[in-house]
Amino acid sequence: MTARVITESAPEPQIVLRRSRVSGDRTRVLGVIGAVIVLALGTVAVLAPVLAPYDPTERAGTPFSPPSAEHLLGTNDVGQDLLSEMIYGTRVSLTVGIVAAAAAMVLGTVVGLIGGYFPRLGAVAMRGVDVVLILPFLPLLIVLAAYLGRSIVNTVIIIAILIWAPTARVIRSQVLSLAKRDYIVAARSMGAGHGYVIRRHVLPKTLLLAIGEFVAATSGAILLESSLSFLGLGDPLQESWGSTLYWAQARGAFLTPAWKWWVLPPGLLIMLSALGFALLGYALEQRINPRLRRS
Amino acid sequence: MFERRITRTAVPALVLVVLILGACGSNGGTEDTGSSDAAGAATAETLRIGIMSEEGNLTPHTYATGFPGLNLTMLSYDSLMQADENGEPQPWLAETVESSPDGLTYTLGLADGVTWHDGEALTAEDVVFSVDYYKAGPPGRFATAMANVSQAVAQDESTVVLTLGVPDPSFEIRVLADVPILAEHVWSGITEPDLAPFDETTNIGSGPYRLVESDPGVSYSFEAHPEYFRGEPKVDELVVVQFADEAGATAALRSGEIDTMMRSISPEQIDVLRGAGSLDVVEAPEYTTTLLVFNTAVAPFDQAEFRRAVALAVDRQRLVDDVFLGAAVVGNAGWVHPSSQWYDESVETVYDPEAAARLLDDIGLTDSDSDGIRELDGASLSFELLVASNNALRMRLAELIGEQLGEVGIGVEVSSVEMQTLDDAVWPGYDVAQGRNYEMSMWGWSASSQADIGQMASLVSSDPAIGNLNVTGYADPETDALAVELDTELDPTARAEVADQLQQRIAEEVPFVSLLHPNGAYGYNPDVFGDWVSITGSGPMTKLSFIPDDGQP
Repeated sequence: MTARVITESAPEPQIVLRRSRVSGDRTRVLGVIGAVIVLALGTVAVLAPVLAPYDPTERAGTPFSPPSAEHLLGTNDVGQDLLSEMIYGTRVSLTVGIVAAAAAMVLGTVVGLIGGYFPRLGAVAMRGVDVVLILPFLPLLIVLAAYLGRSIVNTVIIIAILIWAPTARVIRSQVLSLAKRDYIVAARSMGAGHGYVIRRHVLPKTLLLAIGEFVAATSGAILLESSLSFLGLGDPLQESWGSTLYWAQARGAFLTPAWKWWVLPPGLLIMLSALGFALLGYALEQRINPRLRRS
Repeated sequence: MFERRITRTAVPALVLVVLILGACGSNGGTEDTGSSDAAGAATAETLRIGIMSEEGNLTPHTYATGFPGLNLTMLSYDSLMQADENGEPQPWLAETVESSPDGLTYTLGLADGVTWHDGEALTAEDVVFSVDYYKAGPPGRFATAMANVSQAVAQDESTVVLTLGVPDPSFEIRVLADVPILAEHVWSGITEPDLAPFDETTNIGSGPYRLVESDPGVSYSFEAHPEYFRGEPKVDELVVVQFADEAGATAALRSGEIDTMMRSISPEQIDVLRGAGSLDVVEAPEYTTTLLVFNTAVAPFDQAEFRRAVALAVDRQRLVDDVFLGAAVVGNAGWVHPSSQWYDESVETVYDPEAAARLLDDIGLTDSDSDGIRELDGASLSFELLVASNNALRMRLAELIGEQLGEVGIGVEVSSVEMQTLDDAVWPGYDVAQGRNYEMSMWGWSASSQADIGQMASLVSSDPAIGNLNVTGYADPETDALAVELDTELDPTARAEVADQLQQRIAEEVPFVSLLHPNGAYGYNPDVFGDWVSITGSGPMTKLSFIPDDGQP
């Protein structure tokens, strides 16, 4: 049995080496770019109090001022420094993105594991996944947000509810194929319990995949958080990029020259963070996902 | 497989992009170099007006909103009296209004030559019919207004005598100048006015405009009534177009698709529109109020000293400057708008955080654990401040108030909730007798709460029959006595005296904090039409703007 385990895990590096050099390089470059973006944003989030010139809740200047030496991105409708708001907004956006994606990963992995390991139960569970997958995204998001009320916790819950389904599918197909492998059949026939097999053999081989899914889902979660906040369905009193856009819209910045410093920066930051996580997730998945790896 | 990954993130990305693009819509702007005439055109063939709300069928029984719905409806209908530029009721359909000394009988002499849109004459019978029809009809604003009229009799073709159940010093402004008169020959056959079929036959009023085309949710079109008894209206045709939101309507105004809009623009847009070259903004004080209310059953809001400290700690001028960019009037401690004839100048509105802190110290609310927040019986003095999430300006006000109260050691947690949730907490069932379930909230009453001074009693009386707007649950015997007096005093001079006393009482007792009154600001194209007539407190978007100078009340 030990021997089998080794042969099962050994081919991985060989398969990676067999891939075409060009496509591997490209994946790596994209992955590095994504990692750099994510790391940079993470650093900004952690060092926000050091980097931000003002407290984002403090009314530091005249409302609606254009960019100046004191306020590099100007101020918003109540005189809060927009640059500081962007910097602190990184915290909210990343936290919501990561926590929601993590919750979705846990939910998706559990459903995927059970669904793949117990095929009959899985057939039922997967119909539930299908339902979540075909639900129209934004209307459901709006209904849920209106129903649950506005708070950052609810935002996380709503996003997690909407994005766990694809993870469950990917994990399930991996578990389905794992569960039929010889060494697992052998372990089962030697009397190993379900719990033991899942913990010892199945989970370790799906966890990596789940992490890849998680990184990619973070990108979607950040965008969803921004959409919700922009629509005023998040907590408008939380300083996230989306709520900065919400206030810009509510106070008419879209119709005045202020869009250049009030709308563009949060928009670009949302794009950048989504791109960073998407690239990183793509690169990770190319390496981890067995179906992609063999193609 | 790259595609699949992209798809997942692309859906929300696309959504966000669409939302943002939708919002910027007309970002290009229309920089018209031609300078605009400040006065503006006094007459026009067509005026296109933008609205942002679904208004339904524009009849006195089916209109949807108080503003602009009722204002649009009243283009086609008239009341017996009409508020003039100062908000004072003046003779209108009724040329003479005489009340008996006991205030129980009103004798109205109707104006000559008033015709309905279909050419029939408006007679005393129509007035009597209207009174009876409203009273017998479904509940509503006009049925409520008429409830106190016990009898209406047509003495002859043009004289009506109304008998009241109890004397009402606000009868002229609240009833005569508010209730539209209906045509008997049109409405007598309609048994269910709320479901009345809406077509040319029910569109008959006596107002300056006739509603000729109605497509609720899309547009309405009004044509001037050439034989209008106050003179031919200044604009021949009014086209009212509905927009999804303010941004869309503002964009349409800037691009010249519409000429004005029946929605006050937000303060930051005033300079932008004025700077656009072809547009101007008519700005006028309005009576709409913005209040900070609290549940007086929650300790320590039951103590007048504490409430006074809260009022002292709020810097109203700062709220006006920072949130409304100056386009608002500071709220008066005694509730009444400074432009109102009832305003008592002796009531001072003071911002003094040190005095507030002293007051709080005096009533034993001190910060014993030095965390910046005072304690009440060991528990930290902290409250939830509710604010409707659909009102961006009020949310900003709430944030600032939270900060200002924090400076004197009162903790405030701002919660933005759905408007319905807020109403359910502050004014459950729109009936103050059902109690209330909140600590602090941002609140506001419409302009009519100020236009009629009698409404001041309804804000503070603990008797639900009089104090039907007392959402803070405030109760004080002396205030109650003044409220009753205000509600019944018929002599105008004596009533003004009572109104002054009640304002002083409110300033002292602080049953709520009147924060500010946002000014009305309406963008318009002066090249098309600009001869606006504002009613103090209600703004320029009423039929008065379209009635010729010699026909003004």
